Amino acid sequence: MKSNNKGQIRIIEAFLAVLIIFSSFAVSANFTITRNATRRDDLASVGSQALLKLDSDGSLGKFIDDGNWTALRDALNILLPVGVCFNLTVYDDQMQQINTAVISNGGFSSQQIHFTEYICASQGTVFRCYIIHMHLAVAT
Amino acid sequence: MKKYKTKFKANSSGQLLIIAALAIAILISSTTIYVYELSKETNNACASSISSFVLALKQNTKNTMISSLANVSNGGERTVLATNLNRLSQIFRSINHLEICNLAFTPLNDSNYVEGIWLSWNISDMGVSSVYTNFTLKVYSIADKVTLNYAINITTAITLNGYYTKLDGNEKLVNLTCKVYNEEAPALAKNITLFYESFGRWVPLNSSNNFSIIDYGNSTYHISFNATTTSNTVQVSAHICDLRNVFVQANTTCYKA
Repeated sequence: MKSNNKGQIRIIEAFLAVLIIFSSFAVSANFTITRNATRRDDLASVGSQALLKLDSDGSLGKFIDDGNWTALRDALNILLPVGVCFNLTVYDDQMQQINTAVISNGGFSSQQIHFTEYICASQGTVFRCYIIHMHLAVAT
Repeated sequence: MKKYKTKFKANSSGQLLIIAALAIAILISSTTIYVYELSKETNNACASSISSFVLALKQNTKNTMISSLANVSNGGERTVLATNLNRLSQIFRSINHLEICNLAFTPLNDSNYVEGIWLSWNISDMGVSSVYTNFTLKVYSIADKVTLNYAINITTAITLNGYYTKLDGNEKLVNLTCKVYNEEAPALAKNITLFYESFGRWVPLNSSNNFSIIDYGNSTYHISFNATTTSNTVQVSAHICDLRNVFVQANTTCYKA
């Protein structure tokens, strides 16, 4: 009886071993899914960080004060990672659009468009506050 | 004995297989968890919306203080600081939908600062334009509640000193060294205007005075000019605007070298 069951036990043991290894893969896959979910907000965060960096020395407010939209677009082109498209709209504190030119580095071809809002107080002698709406997408 | 060993080996090979499988599984899982934790730390640092919000608000309070100091040092009212900070706080409250924020501020009042502003332009050899405010920021979001106390000090300071050498008659060649600082760090001037006292009145310098400025690019400026005065000393006043448009003034007395 014992020797008869030996083959079946071997199969069960092998099955258990395979099960253990596959369960570890299942756990790993779960972690990957969780990580992908958190990645959705990354692009908006990248946009916020770029605007914050540009604002750290007062350049952002100065570009807007001067209406230098080309310089603003070029600066963001440098600060944002390659392959990220953006479109910026600048409003005053009464939510009136003030940018007279399109501040963008190309058309949006991606399905997923991310949005970030940034408030910028300028360092100029006369206090002005701007509200910046930035749309971002990964170029495909 | 050999036969027993072989039999034992054959009997326990299945258990060994399971142990090996367990070891591999633990290895795979731990590697995945390690990689996940590493990436999670980076994500947390970058993507936390509340920390981005706080950073942006802090940066904006700093910008507002620079703007207010530039305004006051160029002749504006001291109340501009409180007005501007109130406006900024109101804009942040009205715009953000995900967070509720309350920015309270207390401009410093002490022997130097009045309503958070200190303009010291009459001390010999030195001039200071400064603003100092304490902030308490409270941010409430669905997930977090943050209370942050911080202070911001914006200071533009200049030092001015020099000497003169006698030329023909009442004419003197004045050499000055001027240094500009922003928050005690070297900074650059946007423009420098100089005056010297001649027969009881301040005379602005122009090309007729052989006026020259050498900018060393490290916050140090060497200034030389010719002055006509009967006095044994030359009183000089420097009016400087830094790159942030903050105005500061300093006076110095030059003696014969």
